Amino acid sequence: MNARRLISGAVSILIVAALLALFFSFRAHAPHLHGPRFSVSVRQLPYYAFCSFYRMLAAYVLAMVFSVAYGMAAARGRRWERVMIPAIDIAQSVPVIGFFPAAVYFFVALAHGGRLGVEMAAVFLIFTSQAWNLALGVFESMRTIPDDLRQALEAFGASAWLRFRKLSLPACVPKLVYNSILSWVAGWYFLIACEIITVGPSHYRLPGLGSYLMEAADRGRSGEIIAGLTMLLLIIVLMDLMVWQPLTVWAEKFRYEFASGAAGEPMGSLGMLHALSALGPAVYRTARFVIRPPAALLRVLLAGLPALDSTTRARIARAARATGYAALIALWLIFLYAIFKGLAALAHALSGPWPDQARLIPAATGASILRIVVAYSISLGWTLPCALAAADNVRFRRWLAPIAEIVGSMPATALFPLIVLFVVEVTGGMNLASILLILTGMQWYLLFNLLAGVNQIPEDLKEAAHAYGLNRLAIWRKLTVPALVPSIVTGSITAWGGGWNALILSEYFSYRGKTYKVLGLGALLDAATYETGDSMMILLSLLSMVVVVVGLNRLVWRRLYNVATERYRID
Amino acid sequence: MALLELRQVSKSYPHAKGNLRVLNEISFSVERGEFVAIVGPSGCGKSTLLRIINGIIAPTAGQVLYNGQQVDGINPECAMVFQSFALLPWLSVKANVELGLEARGVPPAERERLATLYIDKVGLDGFEEAYPRELSGGMKQRVGLARALAVEPAVLLMDEPFSALDALTAIGLREELLDIWQAPDSPVETIIMVTHIIEEAVELADRILVLSAGPGRLAGDLRVDLARPRDRRSEPFNSLTDKVFSLIEERA
Repeated sequence: MNARRLISGAVSILIVAALLALFFSFRAHAPHLHGPRFSVSVRQLPYYAFCSFYRMLAAYVLAMVFSVAYGMAAARGRRWERVMIPAIDIAQSVPVIGFFPAAVYFFVALAHGGRLGVEMAAVFLIFTSQAWNLALGVFESMRTIPDDLRQALEAFGASAWLRFRKLSLPACVPKLVYNSILSWVAGWYFLIACEIITVGPSHYRLPGLGSYLMEAADRGRSGEIIAGLTMLLLIIVLMDLMVWQPLTVWAEKFRYEFASGAAGEPMGSLGMLHALSALGPAVYRTARFVIRPPAALLRVLLAGLPALDSTTRARIARAARATGYAALIALWLIFLYAIFKGLAALAHALSGPWPDQARLIPAATGASILRIVVAYSISLGWTLPCALAAADNVRFRRWLAPIAEIVGSMPATALFPLIVLFVVEVTGGMNLASILLILTGMQWYLLFNLLAGVNQIPEDLKEAAHAYGLNRLAIWRKLTVPALVPSIVTGSITAWGGGWNALILSEYFSYRGKTYKVLGLGALLDAATYETGDSMMILLSLLSMVVVVVGLNRLVWRRLYNVATERYRID
Repeated sequence: MALLELRQVSKSYPHAKGNLRVLNEISFSVERGEFVAIVGPSGCGKSTLLRIINGIIAPTAGQVLYNGQQVDGINPECAMVFQSFALLPWLSVKANVELGLEARGVPPAERERLATLYIDKVGLDGFEEAYPRELSGGMKQRVGLARALAVEPAVLLMDEPFSALDALTAIGLREELLDIWQAPDSPVETIIMVTHIIEEAVELADRILVLSAGPGRLAGDLRVDLARPRDRRSEPFNSLTDKVFSLIEERA
C-alpha cells in the first residue's frame, strides 16, 4: 500500500477522532438531564407516533437540503469530487450510534439543557442515517446526465438557475426517490436508539414510538407492545401507499429512455393486493389535481413579474456566487477551528492513565469483526438468491420491493427484547442473538441495492441470453451475477456500515435488571457508557472502531469498488 | 463582409501521453444565406468544429469571427440541432421548444406564441402536450428543429441531424428542412450542417467543406451549383459525390 493512501487514511482517522473528542469535551458542560415521567398508556400512542414521525420528517428535510447542495457541489469537478466523496464514505462507515452520546452532550450544552437539546440530538442522529445515501444519489445522478442535454442547455445560453431547475434537479429525482425509501428504512431503525438516552447517570426518554416500545418492553406489558408495533406498522404502510408509491410513479417521468432494463412498470405495484396497487397512481392523480390550482396561480403571479434583463441577472449571479464563496470560507474556518479544539481535547483525553479494560480491545475487535462477517455471509446468502429470482420473475420483483420496504422498516430494534430472550433461552448464549440482531441491520441495505441492480440489467442482454439457449444456471453465472457485482459491492459497503451500528446495539443488552453481553467492541463501548461512564474507555473503543472501519474501507471496499466499476459496469 | 469567419482554428485535448490534436488550423468563411455542409469520416473533429462555432467549446488556438467581431463564449445568433435530439424527457414538446426562449428571458406570452408557431411549422401541430418518450425518432428531431427555430437564429447549426433516423424518415425531413429554409418568412438564412453522408451533403448544400481525419484539416471546399430540387440519379450529382469521396480518400 503506497504512502499516499496510508497518509490520507491516517488523516481521516485523525479528523474523526478530533471531532469525537471535541463532542465529548462538552460532557463537562452538559447539565444533568431530567426526563419527565413516561406514560405507557395506549391513549398516548397517537401523540407519540406524531412526535416520532415529526422527528423523522425534520431529519429528512434537512437531509434532502444537505444532499442536494453537497451532491451538486461534489459533481462540479474532479477536484471537488476527490475531497467530498471520500468524506461521505468515511461518514457512512463510522458507526453513528457510537457517536450518539457525544452528540447529545454537544446539543444539550448548545441548548443549555432541556428537551430542545435532546430533540436536536435525536434529529441529528436520524439525519446522519439518511443524508449520506441521498447525497451519493444526487452525485451519481449529476454525473450520469447525458452530455448532449448539458450541451443543449449551454448552447441555448441557459443561466445556472435555469439549468438547475430544468436539468440538474429533475435528473436527480429517480435516484432521490429510491434512496429516500431506503433512507427512511434506515431512519426507522435508529428511531428507538435515539429516543432513549441513557448516558451514565442521566436518563431521558423523548416522547415517541421508540421509547414507548422500549418502556413497554421493560415493564413487560405485551398488550402495549403489540399496540405500539401495530401503530408503527400502520404508519409505514400508509407512507408506502400514500407517499412512496405515488412518488415512484411520478419519478418514472424523469427517467432517460435509453436506461434499458428499467422495468416498464413502476416498482411499487403490490401484485398480491391488486386493488391496493391501483391506489398509488390514484393518489398521484389526486395529488396532481389538488396541486394544480395553486400551482397555476403561482405561475400566473410569477408571470406577472417583469423579466429581468441580462445586466441585472448578471449582477444577481455575481452576488450569489460571492455569498456562496463567503459561506464556503466560513464553513472551512469553523471546521478547522473544530478540528483544532478537537485535537487538543483528544490529546488531553488520551494523556490520562489507560483503564485496565483497554487490554481487551484487540480481542474484542476480533470477535466483533467475526460476528459481522458471519452476519454478512448470512445476509448475502439469502439476498443474492432473492435477487436472482427477482431478475427472472417480473411479478416476484414487483411485490418484493414494497414488502421488503415495509418489513425492513419495522425496526428490529423494537423486537430486540423478544429476540434476545427467545434465543438466549434456546441456546444459552448471547452470541447467536447478537449475530441475528446485526443481521437485521445489514440485510435490507444489501437487498435494496441488489434490487436496484436487478432493475438495471438491460432487457436486450437478457433476451440475447435466452435466444442463445442458455439455461438458468448459465444465465446466472454469465449475466446476472456479473451484472450485479457493482450493486453487491455498494450494497456491502452500506451493509457493513449498518452492521457496525447494529453491533453497538446488539452486543450489550440490558433488560429488566439483567444484563446480557458478549466479548466485543460494542459491548466494551456500551458497558463503558451505561455502567461505568468512563469516558476514556468510551473514547478508546470508539477510536478502535473508527480505525478498523476506515482501514477496512480503504483496504477492502475501495479496491473492490474500483474493480467492480472497471470490469463489471454496463455502459 | 462574411457572416462567419474561422481563422486558423485549432483544438487539442490533454491526453495521457501528451496532447491529442483534434482540429488543425481550420480556416474558412461563410456568407449570409449559404447552406454549408461539412463532411468527413468519423473522428475528424467535425462535431467539435460545430461546437466551437456555437461557442460551447473554446478553440485552443485561432479565432471565430461573427460579423467581423471576435466571439468569446456562446454566440446567441446560433442555434444547434443535435444528432441525439437532446430533448429533456420530463418536459412536454411545448416546454422543450420554449426552453431556448426561456433561457433568453423571453416573457411567457411571447414564448407561447413562438413555440406554437414553430411547432406548427415543423408539422407537429397537436403534439404540444406530448412527451418525448411518446414520439418517434423523426418527430423528436422535429421538436429539436422547432426548438432551434423558435429562437429565430441567424445561423442554424446541425450536427448530423438525420443520422439517428431511418432512411425513409430522413428523406422526408430533408425535404421539409429545405422547405422551411427556402420559405420567404423563414427565420433562418444560413445553415451549417455536419454530416458523414456525402449524398445528403450534395443534395442539400450550396457548399461542401471536406474535412480529413487525424487531425482534422480542411481538405477541400466545393461549390454545388445544381438547381434544387436535385436529382440523385443525375450525372452531375454523381460526379460531385465521387469528387467529395476522392477528396476524403486522398488525404486519408
